[in-house]
Formats: sequence, C-alpha cells, structure tokens
Amino acid sequence: MFIEYSEEQNMLRDSAERYLRDNYSFESRQAAVKQARGFDADQWQTFAELGWLAMTFKEESDGFGGGALETMILCEQFGKYLVLEPYLESVVLVGGLVEAGAQPEIKQRYLSGLIAGERQGAFAYLEEGAVADPTYVQTTAESSADGFVLNGKKTVVLNGPEADCFIVSARTGAVGQDSSQGISLFFIHKDTPGLSFTQYKTYDGRSASELQLENVAVSDQALVGELHNGFATATPVFSRAMVAVCAEAVGAMDALLAATVDYTKQRKQFGQSISGFQVLRHRMVDMFMEIELTRSLLMATAWKLDNHAADAELCVAALKAKVGKAGRYVSHNAVQLHGGIGTTDEFSVGHYFKRLAVIGVMFGSRDSHLSRYSQLSTQLSVEPS
Amino acid sequence: MTDNVFRSDVRAFLTESLTPDIKRAGELMTSVFADFDATMEWHRILYAKGWVAPDWPEEHGGTGWTLSQRYIFQEECKLANAPALFAMGLQMLGPMLIRYGTAEQKNYYLPRMLSGEDVWCQGYSEPGAGSDLASLITAAVRDGDDYIINGSKIWTSYAQHSNKIFCLVRTSKEGKPQAGISFILVDMDTKGLSVEPIVGLDGTVEQCQVYFDDVRVPAANLVGAENQGWDVAKSLLEFERGGHNFTIDHKKQMAKIDHQASTQLSAGGGLWKDNPVFAAKVADVAVDALALEFTELRVKGAFEAGGNAGALSSLIKVMGTEIGQRFNELSLEIMAEHAFVKQLDALVPGFEGDAIGPSCGLTTMAEYINNRAATIYGGSAEIQRDIIAKRVLHL
Repeated sequence: MFIEYSEEQNMLRDSAERYLRDNYSFESRQAAVKQARGFDADQWQTFAELGWLAMTFKEESDGFGGGALETMILCEQFGKYLVLEPYLESVVLVGGLVEAGAQPEIKQRYLSGLIAGERQGAFAYLEEGAVADPTYVQTTAESSADGFVLNGKKTVVLNGPEADCFIVSARTGAVGQDSSQGISLFFIHKDTPGLSFTQYKTYDGRSASELQLENVAVSDQALVGELHNGFATATPVFSRAMVAVCAEAVGAMDALLAATVDYTKQRKQFGQSISGFQVLRHRMVDMFMEIELTRSLLMATAWKLDNHAADAELCVAALKAKVGKAGRYVSHNAVQLHGGIGTTDEFSVGHYFKRLAVIGVMFGSRDSHLSRYSQLSTQLSVEPS
Repeated sequence: MTDNVFRSDVRAFLTESLTPDIKRAGELMTSVFADFDATMEWHRILYAKGWVAPDWPEEHGGTGWTLSQRYIFQEECKLANAPALFAMGLQMLGPMLIRYGTAEQKNYYLPRMLSGEDVWCQGYSEPGAGSDLASLITAAVRDGDDYIINGSKIWTSYAQHSNKIFCLVRTSKEGKPQAGISFILVDMDTKGLSVEPIVGLDGTVEQCQVYFDDVRVPAANLVGAENQGWDVAKSLLEFERGGHNFTIDHKKQMAKIDHQASTQLSAGGGLWKDNPVFAAKVADVAVDALALEFTELRVKGAFEAGGNAGALSSLIKVMGTEIGQRFNELSLEIMAEHAFVKQLDALVPGFEGDAIGPSCGLTTMAEYINNRAATIYGGSAEIQRDIIAKRVLHL
C-alpha cells in the first residue's frame, strides 16, 4: 500500500488551502464565533459553490464520487484553519446517513438541499446515561398505525441549533447478543410536533442542543436503514466521521507546530531566542514525530476504507487512539512553549488546543479505541503488506 | 515477475537452504548480531546463490532486484529467522567504496567482501569522540608512501572477528575539525594494531577497543582524497540510517509477545493476554508500530517516486528503536523471574542441554539490556532529534 494522490485530489487540497488562507483569517473566525449563529453562513454557501459539500457524495446523488481520501483532504485544511462550519455534522454524518439509508421520499426531498448547503443536519445519537457508548439507547420508537412514535431525550446534539433535520437513534427492539441490535434510526424534521430543544455553546466555539422527544409521530418513510439494525448504516458513517475529525486534528497539529516554531524563534529570554534551547528544540521534534506518525496512519486508514481492506476498521481504531495521544501531546506543548500568551482567548493557539481536546474524546476516547484495537487485532491477523 | 511469485521463490530457497543450526542462530539473536560462525556460514550460502548483496548495483555483484523485491527478501529472511549478515562490509563500506573508491580498491576489496573472505569492522568512535565525532584525534601522519597511525577506536563491533577495519583518522589540525579528517582502510594484521574486547551487560563480547601504536598503512588505502574523509563518512552514515527496516523487527517482536502472552499466566490465574492492563499497554505500542509501518511505506513510496527520505529517516531511526525498546519491556514483564537466569551456553546454536524456564523467555533479558544500545549507536536519539530540529523544523 502506498498512496499516490490523483491530480484531482492534489487540486482539491491546493484549492482548499488557497481559499482558506486568503479568506478564513483567525480574526474573522473569532468574529463568527461571537455571532448568534456561531458560524458564517456566507462561508458555508461558498463551500457549497466550491463543490466541497458535494465532494464525497455519489454521482447519482449529484455528488463528485469522492471517498474517505477526499474527506481527509478537505478536513485536514479545515483543521488547519479552525473552520467552524458544520461540515462534519451536516455533510459527513447526516448527509452520509441520508444517502446510505434514507427512504426514497426523504432522500429526494432533503439530500440535494444538504449537498447544496441550503439545509443543515444534526445526528442525535448520544444519551445522558452513557456518552461513551452510542449503543446505549433508552429513547424508544414504538410502531403506530402509519409509522412510529418516539419518546426520550438525546444529549450533546452537535449543530442542533442550526439543524433543519435530525437523525435520531431510538430503540425499536430488545438488546440482542450485540449491543447495537434493536436500535433504529429516524429522520425527523425540526418542526415535527413533540420536539423541544435546549441550546448552548460548546468550548470549541460551536453550538449544540439537548433534544427532548415527547410523542413525536413520524411516518414509516422516516426510517433510515434497516429496522432494528440502524448500526449497519451508522457504522461506516462513523468510520468516515472519525477520518474527518482525525484529519482535522492533523491539520490543527500542523498549525500548532508551525506557530510554536515561529514563536520560539521570535521570543527572546536570557538574551537569546528560546528556540536555541535544546530542551525546547527536542520537544518540538517530538511534536513533529507524533504528527508525522499520525499522518501516516491517517493516510493509510483513509486509503484502506476506500479500498475495503480487511483491516480498515482496525486502522480506524488505531488512528483514533493515536489522535487522542498525539493531539494532547502537541497541543499541551504548544500552549506550554507559548507560555502565558498560549492561555489567552486572544491568541489562536488556545483555540486549536480546545478543538483538539474535543476531537480527542469525540466518537470514543483513546482508551476505548485502544481496547477496540485489542479486540479487533485478536480477531484478525494482519498479513505483511 | 510479480512480487508474489518472487516472494514464494525466496521462501522456497529459505526453506531449502537454512540449516537447523543457522536458523537456531537467528532465533537466538539477542542484538543486531547473531552467532559469528553461523552467520558466516549463511553469508557463504547467500554468496553461492548470488544473493549476498541485493542493495549493490548489479555490475558489482548486486541482484538487480526492484526496491520492492529487496524489501520482500529482507522481510522473508527475518521471518524465517535467518541470521542478519554483518552490515559493516556489505551495507556500509561496500556502497561507499562503489561511490568513492578507486578502480584498484573496488577490484580488490568488493569481491573479497562478497565472498566473506574479508570481515570488516568500523573504526569511527573514540573514547573522547562519540556524538561529537569530528573531535576525533587518532592521527595518521604521512611518511613516504605510508601513513603512520597512532590512537584508539572504541565501540568497534565484532573487531575480534574482523580482519579489516575502515577508519576515520586525523590528517590535519588546520581549519574546522571536519576539514582535517581522512578515511582509510587498515589490515588488522598490521604490526602495532591490537584489539581489546569489551564485555557487554549480557556477559558477551560484541564491542571492542582497537589500539593503534605506530601502525604503518600504505597511502593507497586512503578512500577519497586526504582531508576529505568527513564527506565520505557522512554518505556512509546515510547508508547506516536508511538501510534498516524496523517494521519487520517489530512484527517479530509482536509475534513473540503474542506467543508469550498466550502461554504464560499472570497473577490471578488468567493468561497475560487476558489481563486488561497488559492488553492496553500492548495496544498502545502496537498502534505506534503500525503508524511507523505506514511511515516506512511513505518513505519507500517517496524513494520509488525518485525522491528521498530526507529527515524522515531520522524520525524512523528514533521511533523504530524506541518502539523496539518498549516491546522489550513488555516481554520482560511477562517472563519476570525466568528472565533473570543467565544461561549463555543455551544461547549458542547446537546447545543440547536442558534450559531453565520456558524456551520463549530464553533471550528476553539479553534482548532487553542489549537493545538499550539501539538508541545510542548509529547516531543517538538525541543527535537524530538535533538533525530534525535543524533540517526539518529549521530551528
């Protein structure tokens, strides 16, 4: 296995890099954070016009047919520039789930809007009792004459305040041998009676909500994926989402290392640039090595997902575990080497740090992915490539 | 030929040619060196087959294999427990002579290196010049058609088995320290040269100190021009750093730990592999090893595309050796008291007595202690970090 990027992939990276460098300054990002919406709607429209939102959808859905590699290429740049816009939530998660499993009627009505940037989505899959386990689902969906009635409460629904539509996980059957059995996914419009929200901001500058469902009636067209087996649809989407956030993390770590190298060269103490001190030089080298190891794992994982390799899921677990460790190492040391200025709201370093803190535990922390890696590696012996 | 066909050809050859004693020497390796006699026997078998120097250009005795085939060969040899050939001649001096040597030097030395008639050791470090190699003081003074060498070299691996040594010597004290260094080939039988073994922590001798007391060497043995030895040596260090594939070593270490953890009991009655604390530690190292494997593939891909590894080879050296050391620690935790037992005779191929403790733990302690040297030799982990700081981060 070795990745050679296609000309299109190189162009995508270059154009995303160039656009964001010229049009996505840290100052304008911070201004957007302070607005009620929490991101810049004009930017989102531009992302759509540049074709970024359509990039990873199939051609029959009016997308460009890209895969995990394209997700990775875009999200790496998003991470580098601390992009706030809800690409992960609307495109990777909800767009991915709708394309993979929504009924034709829903797909027809909503998918093109998601791809065109006209609609926003949010995936409500977590519950208060156990955020570490997406298969912990107490929300129920009971069969009715013409569909389902949902009751329960979902927590930390990212992008919830902006979403027109939600995908909600709910229990339709008993837990089977596998904890993910008996769970189904439902597409619900935000105006459906019985939905209520509590909205709030998150530390990384985004928005989320608590979602209450009280006798929410939906038609059987709302079912996404198979009844009782929603995770068959959700699992590959989660894997893609993990590639997305891990790519974002690599971009963010690159930005942090560059800022730290730059700062330590400029900052003078004891009559010299602090970049001359070997203890700091070696610390930055260790940051560099963590980033490069993570990048290798990221590239290989995206490639393996696109090529349906037998060990692709093992690599996803390895990648997410590695990002948990590297993200902390790099961000902690970036803050440390910047000294006091690194702890302020005014300076970008702290904001990368907060985003990496969030990514490190999102979709399962380092520890949960290490134990998943252990389980998967005993099931699978990896042949030398 | 497809890579798969090539791989099965290599496997067939290994099955046929690796005698039980040679294979046993490979299994019992506790450092980068295997038992001397078994290694040289394997060297001669590969020489007869024409496969002793796959990395050399074909006209000098190489195999003409693709990079991918060379990688497969290396991988299959290690997986089959073939002893690693001594690198000082074939991997280090050979490619350097091909690049800098005179026609006479190439014609004389390369065939003897291939056949195993000459066994080379490397005279770089000195008691006062380790990481700061350019501060070396062993002096070669011109006298007619000869140089007369005085001084001492240290950490000379397998000097006790070698008949030749290549050395960095000081030929001038003018200018920068690097500017007065020359590269010279010395016959170990020369009068005035003596070898003192250094006993390592495992109780065996791999390293030596070599003393030069008025050692007279023909000036024709100079490689490159006088005072140009530093450039020659720098290219050699690249061969030393780039020539290693850590992924195969890590896979073998991982397989050993899997075997140990699946057969040995931890406290409370369960197997080590079912101990959740231990399993998490293994996964932690395994994830880094996997990330390094893909990094090696990235570098290999860059080579194939005509680029070079740049300072990624320093990254690979640092991470490859540090990950290897973490695997050693995990083995030691499993084997525990059984790893204490010093039974050097059981580590020699052909041993027929009864070893104490499980056979999967025979090499554990020696591997653990010997591998501490991995982050010291070939440019220490700290020197490698300095290289990355300067060349990649431009600090």
